[in-house]
Amino acid sequence: MLRAFVYLVLGWVLIAVVGGLADVLSLTIMLPATSAVILTHAAFSAGTSIHLGLAVAIALGYLEDLHQGAPIGTLALSHALTFLLLRWASGRFAITGWILRAAAGLVSASLLDAVTLAVLVVLADPLGVPRDALLGATAVLHWHALATLLVAPPLWSGIDRLLLALRLDDRPPQQAYWTGK
Amino acid sequence: MALSLRSIRNGALIVVLLGIPVLLLRSTAQDPHGMSGFDRAVRRIGAPLEAAISYSMGMLGAFFERWVLQARLQDTNERLVGENRELRQRLRELVHLQEENQQLRRALQMREKVHEDMIPAERVGVDQSPFFRVVNIRIDRGREYARPGMAVLSPDGVVGRIDKALDDYSDVLLITDPRSKIAVELARTKAQGILEGYTEDSCTMEVSKDYDVEEGELVLTSGVDELFPKGHPVGQVVEIEQLVGDQQRLHVVPAVRFDRIDVVWVVLANAPRPDPRGEGEGPLSQARGLGPVK
Repeated sequence: MLRAFVYLVLGWVLIAVVGGLADVLSLTIMLPATSAVILTHAAFSAGTSIHLGLAVAIALGYLEDLHQGAPIGTLALSHALTFLLLRWASGRFAITGWILRAAAGLVSASLLDAVTLAVLVVLADPLGVPRDALLGATAVLHWHALATLLVAPPLWSGIDRLLLALRLDDRPPQQAYWTGK
Repeated sequence: MALSLRSIRNGALIVVLLGIPVLLLRSTAQDPHGMSGFDRAVRRIGAPLEAAISYSMGMLGAFFERWVLQARLQDTNERLVGENRELRQRLRELVHLQEENQQLRRALQMREKVHEDMIPAERVGVDQSPFFRVVNIRIDRGREYARPGMAVLSPDGVVGRIDKALDDYSDVLLITDPRSKIAVELARTKAQGILEGYTEDSCTMEVSKDYDVEEGELVLTSGVDELFPKGHPVGQVVEIEQLVGDQQRLHVVPAVRFDRIDVVWVVLANAPRPDPRGEGEGPLSQARGLGPVK
């Protein structure tokens, strides 16, 4: 439970930090999806149950909705679905080392964007979102994924250190992340 | 394959959790622009955190501006210094052009006052006395245009006359030179006389005591020497010396500052006639008027 709370608080702080940095550095498109990295870490950690992880995903998505001005529930749903997909993948793939962490960041950000886009396209009419604008936004999604790729390894290590410092994780530092048997 | 109670419970919990965003979306679809009380409460709770982070980011931005992005300011500064240098250089050139323009305007005004044929000439050199007085100037007109004895004027007054005309330049005998003699008259009393060079910065003339001359009276060319055009300023009386007999000696300061001359005019109207032999090998004939002291 405490572990889920740490994920949630860290995710909230990172959402605000990324927004502040984007404002200071005048960045608009190349912003990392820190929530996607946290979701990946939670999904691939055996110490996090699927229910708590899903709750964290929904909460982080809800906070992203509030910050990004998206229709409330859109990113909450896409975060939840992405978490379930990542959890499914965590039983079949293992993440170890910097390169795979970066690749996981890239994949999870791309997955999150794809799911969000799919949710918005499906619900475009009831939410009053123009579909042409949604398709136009796909042109800059690769920058989003690239920024997440760059941020994922250090952020992953930071989460590891924080959980170790809070005695919420006792795994050896270089052990692979996966939830399979 | 019987599903365990645990699996059913997990599945149900996941479905319930997934129902939360679905309900949120449904609520949003009903009122796309509205915010629920829960949304506002979450924003209010997060506001101090976001304010603190925004403040920290602002400090970080100031750090970047001051220390890291200072290099950019330095580049801008160097560029501006270079531009400033170029603009100063252009300003100097413009000031020089302005001065030149003013001189030329004055020269043209003088051309309207003097009706004789004249040709402009630039000063190309000066000779100075040990006391830094200009005793001789050199102009860029040679024997092709100038003849010894031709009058040389400036917008301020009489400069002198051509002393030597060489191939590319000519020397000008200033009115302060002891060899110089000019026919002049006083502007107020109309007393006529001959102005002779005296010292490096003054001339003298003698007139009858019958004329009530005052200090400060203007001295003009009289034109009787057929060399200088009549009525051109020559100088000003600064001292009156009473001589034995019926004469008085007037000390005159030239109207022209010889050290500030850039452009002069050589009067061609009273030029001597061309040498009938036409070869130009012999000595050049002089202009009419009062000849220099031999």
